[in-house]
Amino acid sequence: MAETILELLDISKSFEMTHALKNMSLELKAGEVHAIVGENGAGKSTMIKIMTGVHKPTSGEIRIDGQARTLSGTQAAREAGIAAMYQEPMVFPDLDVAENIFISARNKGLFLKPTQQRQAARALVTRLGMSLDVELAASGLTLAEQQIVEIARALSEDVRVLIMDEPTASLSAYEASQLRRIAKTLAQEGVAVVYISHRLEEIFEIADRVTVIRDGGHISTRPISETTADLMIAEMVGRDVGNYFAKIPGTATDTVALKVRNLAVDDVFEGVNFDLHKGEVLCFSGLVGARRTDVALALFGVKPATRGTIEVNGTAVEIRHPKQAMDIGIAYVSEDRRKLGLAMPMSIQSNTSLATLGKFLRRFGLLDRAEERNVAEAFRKRLNIRTPNVDIAVGTLSGGNQQKVMLAKWLNMEPEILIFDEPTRGIDVGAKAEVHELIREFAKAGGAALVISSDLPEVMALGDRNLVMREGRQMGVIASENATQEKIMALATGQQNLREAS
Amino acid sequence: MLSKFKSWEGFLFGVLVLILIANSSLSPEFLTLSNQINLFQLSVEKIIVSLIMTFIIINGEIDLSVGSMMGLAACAFGWMVDQGTPAALACIIVLLIGCAGGALNGYFIARVGLPSLVVTLATLIGFRGLARVLVEDRGITDFPDWFDALGQQGLIGPIPLALILFLLLFLFLYVVLQKTGFGRKTYVIGTNKAVADFAGIDTARHKQILFMASGLIAALAGLLYAARVGAVRGDVAFGFELDIITIVLLGGVSIFGGSGTLVGTFLAILIVLSLRNGMALLNITGHIQTGVIGILLVASVVAPRFNLKAILAHAGTPEKKETS
Repeated sequence: MAETILELLDISKSFEMTHALKNMSLELKAGEVHAIVGENGAGKSTMIKIMTGVHKPTSGEIRIDGQARTLSGTQAAREAGIAAMYQEPMVFPDLDVAENIFISARNKGLFLKPTQQRQAARALVTRLGMSLDVELAASGLTLAEQQIVEIARALSEDVRVLIMDEPTASLSAYEASQLRRIAKTLAQEGVAVVYISHRLEEIFEIADRVTVIRDGGHISTRPISETTADLMIAEMVGRDVGNYFAKIPGTATDTVALKVRNLAVDDVFEGVNFDLHKGEVLCFSGLVGARRTDVALALFGVKPATRGTIEVNGTAVEIRHPKQAMDIGIAYVSEDRRKLGLAMPMSIQSNTSLATLGKFLRRFGLLDRAEERNVAEAFRKRLNIRTPNVDIAVGTLSGGNQQKVMLAKWLNMEPEILIFDEPTRGIDVGAKAEVHELIREFAKAGGAALVISSDLPEVMALGDRNLVMREGRQMGVIASENATQEKIMALATGQQNLREAS
Repeated sequence: MLSKFKSWEGFLFGVLVLILIANSSLSPEFLTLSNQINLFQLSVEKIIVSLIMTFIIINGEIDLSVGSMMGLAACAFGWMVDQGTPAALACIIVLLIGCAGGALNGYFIARVGLPSLVVTLATLIGFRGLARVLVEDRGITDFPDWFDALGQQGLIGPIPLALILFLLLFLFLYVVLQKTGFGRKTYVIGTNKAVADFAGIDTARHKQILFMASGLIAALAGLLYAARVGAVRGDVAFGFELDIITIVLLGGVSIFGGSGTLVGTFLAILIVLSLRNGMALLNITGHIQTGVIGILLVASVVAPRFNLKAILAHAGTPEKKETS
């Protein structure tokens, strides 16, 4: 095969305590489409950031054309001919296509006359086999067209390695096939194309080689002809399930707490059907972009459902505001503690009472701070929040302790249905186990828990049943006794389609 | 977080003491009751409005229209009295106008979701325009004697009505901000509105109430101004919003919302008033006085950043932190 352009040798990268990459190796050759697959959190984005000079590796070597190089920043990477394209393209909405292509001072196009610039832009777009009016303002472009602008920009800078990070995740089928054709064209011109995707079928369509990564390390690199979807999934999931958490026996009852039929939010997700029982933990699995959080936001009234029905304890309800959801006993623990979950500069006490201020109000709307403090202290002990007192600002706590404050805030509401969105993201293993125990305790006491998680071992350990979503559609529900990580992954990546297999 | 403001309030207090010492050494008259009352009296309308402005800014918003609302209130009162409306009735109508104007701001900010900077800039122009339409370029002066007396004479001993209202309002709003659920929500929404929304707090209603209160209090301040001066013109209270916002920011309220206290605002009021008074005693012109206040404001915005660094340097030493 052709010569090697870029090589990563034993690259490791750690952020404070966490190791994002461990001895990662990768070799990119001119003229190939090199697919990279791995679970959420396997280290793909860190790897991209190493290649594009955003992060410096903690150890290891980057070689370009066989020469060891350090990429001191994104500029250095661009000068070496390495460019990345993300799901959300970087375009300047008020500039036209040609101006967007020649935005960087690195390509001389910036100093061309407008007419010449347009001509050069047209030539680039044609080279990609596309037709696009280069005088159009970027704000009027579709997402796919914006991506083409970005590819053309990279081409104008004589790109040698183009990294495409889930480029087709938000595109229609036709646009996606166009984009894949462009990727192929680029490879034929001698560019090394790194193609990151969760859609295994498109990898089989265009990739020459496939690298599987897991837990920040390299697992395998194979020519596409020597691998199968099953093999890839097995390698992606890989680890021993028993390693992390033991399966906890379920406590589900026959009483349905939440009944959801044909739930949909237009253009976001559709056809979501499930019964959530009292005492049950139902997990929502899927990849990034599966729209699981959107289902939660519909149930919590943040972005209300546009179609379908919701029944709580046998009564049909309409939920249009979080307050309504809370009044019928639904709580939502957001995945984004910083933006949606906690008032970071405020105290643990203030955050614990945040969703239930009404409980602490006395005559004339006065706040019963003594009672508020007692409740916060009680939760501090019950949830084992490690802090000397409840006056400390939550922003200074560790991720695990912040997560517990979030739980305290919602448990104080005494909800019947608790939706956890990525309950253990970004917290250490010890705290994870504690959070799992709290969720189990909640279910055991008769609560109905809905857990959205991208962490497969967590799903396997917690879920009584698993509902798998993919791109806004429900792919199936698997009972825990039948669930394997491979099965969930196969559904989540669209390799298998089963309905109500439970 | 609040430890920063505690120290800021301590700093303000220190500055105040220095100014008071300097002023009393400049003039034995300074600390007399009549001088102090006089000093408050000259700015009483602004400092009344600064109390509600403290709420608005802690909530993460701004109300630029208060000066124009004060002007509109005074002019509407003058116009109605001129047309033969009984002054007492006119007062009530003016307060209703204040509520309505504030509700208008609140509607566009809380329900439509426009930035308060834009909405209240528009009403700053609109309310002022309306005020000028009502009185044109006349001055209206013939108010009933009881109305003038309320503004110009002491109500309890030498203390005039406006000052009593200020003190009562301060106490009331202090309790609301520090001791009630409403006050807590004011901080939470200002800290992170999305968090408040996700906790089921009706943030739109909260902002609506705050802007209505702001309009009402600005209208009240406009009436007090009319009574104190005994005359209204189209440019009454022109530009007052800037002095009011200056006081609040100087008091340590964060322009980004979420932190600050009424005690800070109160200290800033005392500092600005005594500083101006002291400089006047030294025969320093008004323009230079304004410049000095400006420097103080810059310092007040910059200082917390350095303070924050100091706090980060000491990270790890547990401090007692309080948030509201």
